[in-house]
Amino acid sequence: MRADENLSGDAGQHLDEMTCLLYIERQLDRARAQEVSAHTQECAACRTLLRALERESRLLTRAMLEEEEALPARLAQFQERARRSMQWIWTVAFGLAATGVYALYTGYIEPWQTELEKAGFGGSNLLSLLIFQGAFWKGWQPMITLLEVLALVTVAGFALAFFRKRVRRGSALALVLTGFCALLLQPASVMASETRHAESVGVAQDEVIKGDIFLFGNRVRVDGTVEGDVFLFGQNANVNGHVKGDVIAFAQMLDVNGQVDGNVRAFTNTLTIRGTIAKNVLTFDELMNVESGGKIGGSLTLFVENLNLEGTVGKELFMFGKHLMLSGKVDGEIKMKGDLMTIESSAQVGSPIHFEGNKEPEVSPQAKLASPVDYHKSEHKPHYMEGHYYVWQVIWLAAFVLFGLVLFQLMPKFAAEAVASAERYGASFGLGVLVFFGVPIAAVIACVTVVGLFVGISAFFIWYAALYFAQLIVGALVGQWLMGRTQETWPLIGRMAVGIVIVRLATVVPIIGGWVKFGVMLWGLGAISLALYNRFQPTLTASAPSGPYMPPPLPPNTTVGGMQPA
Amino acid sequence: MSAPGKPEPTGAISRARTGDADAWGELYREYAPAIFRFCRRALPTREDAEDATMDIFAKLMRDNRLQQYDQSRSFTAWLYKVAANHCWDTLRRRKTRQDKETEDLENVPLEHPDPNQLDRLIEQKTSEEVRRALDKLGSRARMALVMRYYSDMSYDEIADALGVRRAFVGVVLLRARHELRQALGQSGALAAGGAT
Repeated sequence: MRADENLSGDAGQHLDEMTCLLYIERQLDRARAQEVSAHTQECAACRTLLRALERESRLLTRAMLEEEEALPARLAQFQERARRSMQWIWTVAFGLAATGVYALYTGYIEPWQTELEKAGFGGSNLLSLLIFQGAFWKGWQPMITLLEVLALVTVAGFALAFFRKRVRRGSALALVLTGFCALLLQPASVMASETRHAESVGVAQDEVIKGDIFLFGNRVRVDGTVEGDVFLFGQNANVNGHVKGDVIAFAQMLDVNGQVDGNVRAFTNTLTIRGTIAKNVLTFDELMNVESGGKIGGSLTLFVENLNLEGTVGKELFMFGKHLMLSGKVDGEIKMKGDLMTIESSAQVGSPIHFEGNKEPEVSPQAKLASPVDYHKSEHKPHYMEGHYYVWQVIWLAAFVLFGLVLFQLMPKFAAEAVASAERYGASFGLGVLVFFGVPIAAVIACVTVVGLFVGISAFFIWYAALYFAQLIVGALVGQWLMGRTQETWPLIGRMAVGIVIVRLATVVPIIGGWVKFGVMLWGLGAISLALYNRFQPTLTASAPSGPYMPPPLPPNTTVGGMQPA
Repeated sequence: MSAPGKPEPTGAISRARTGDADAWGELYREYAPAIFRFCRRALPTREDAEDATMDIFAKLMRDNRLQQYDQSRSFTAWLYKVAANHCWDTLRRRKTRQDKETEDLENVPLEHPDPNQLDRLIEQKTSEEVRRALDKLGSRARMALVMRYYSDMSYDEIADALGVRRAFVGVVLLRARHELRQALGQSGALAAGGAT
């Protein structure tokens, strides 16, 4: 028997189930549907059957639509898996970055480490010298712990990014809170040292400080005795008394007229030494004077524009700067890279002198030198004429991409917001200028207040990191211009990689490259700031709840039911 | 068949046709959950459904099958049709479809079941029980019910997917309902019919 032959068949007085089903599903032709409709007006049993079949249809639909099964993680990761064929690019980028770090270490850091060891800094490597052994940070051990905690939090951040789909929200929150608690514990130990803060602040002549002291003010004077280290933050600073530890100074002008038994580390505009420093001096200045009465027992390492050395340096002198005017005495070796070296008649140097500069050194015949100056004229071959220049560009590029990869993975949503903010060109540039100049100024101001030291230094580091992040944001936007918009993380990273190549190429163009880089930094910094600003804006309207895998609203069966004939 | 008030993603579809990976991403995010749920209903295990969902989208992308989609029609419906074809092919390859099911199509059920008994059965059964019963059905029966009552496919589309004549789709659906009632434990009188 054929089914279509039976579509109009009755089972005795009643309609068969097949006909009823086709009727409610509107599959009967008009004439037959009208017959069925007329029949059901008369027959209660068939009417009940129709209703029962309709209810059965609805029950089926409800049962199938009711249970919302979330998309399994395997499917959510499907897209990423599809892109795995591109993973080798990241492997190469990582490899290049690792090579870059190694090359940086062996090419620059290690030789410097050797030189610094000669200069009496000791230590087995530069990292431990600067950070862990505390030659530079001496007295700032709490900050070292802070760095370690930050490193741990960074690792935790990576772990969170990796496990974020696997850990429960509560666990993640607990981890983050633990990290924050650990961070918040740190400033307390910094505060343990004595701190003074005033317009004019200092240690009086007859005063003796047993431990370390932090001094903040416009005018800072140390006339008394400090048995620990002195930390100076001010405009004009004078050390006239006796410091048995180190002096670490951030000042516009610093005069050391007294005696320092330890080291001096200074970041100043003008540094003048008239007194005695028993150990080493490491300084970044515009101008440094070691006057005739000034004595440095150890080495002098400086990044300075002009050094006027009339006094005595007991060990080596390392200088990166413009002009050295030497009329005093240096017992150790001199190594200088700069523009000009002038050695006057009263100068005495007990070890060899190496000078790489633009001009022949001017050496007085009366000067007492252990050996003639070993002079090498600086070569100014354009960078782009050298092969390793391109190697380094590729390495830096890979490092940038890697940095961006990590940041975009850790903060995918924020990265996307920052890229979107970068499209508000005017606002981004304006805010960028403000943040570029404003944050360092604010950080310095924060540093000269007692409670703001930690905040100031942190802000400065974040600002500095943001300069790099800014380039990545602009890179991502440039990538979007070329490859189209996206809100997804991996495509955005891909666009960032393409864009950063273009941005980096633009920044190495002679003459205009520097300006391009500056503009990119302002732009990106502004975009980041704008995204941050938007984040902290209150939401005016309640947003609809949306999960990451909201199902599209597929329609339930709408044709089932209804007694109308087709 | 489009969701009420939900516009079709025509932009993403057009871009996906040109091979835009982002557009594919959009479509995947938007439709994968529904297709997964469809496959979950149609196929025996969750793993089968996951594999099928991935295969469906992978094939669409790889073969650029979007070119076959007529943009004047509902994209959701088209996608369900693709999913139904895929699931039915999967089941057929596994030979889970029983040959006797084809033969059964020739025997059109003309019973008139006791409507009150059917009414009571429907009244008593919960959605959960129906879902459990659906899992016990034969492949074609379940496939037919899913296509019709989950994704609202037309008789023509169901006929296409199952490879049967359109006239037999009603038979398939009715037999599927009978199987379901049996699975729900009330088979006898209802499925065989009684009242005349």
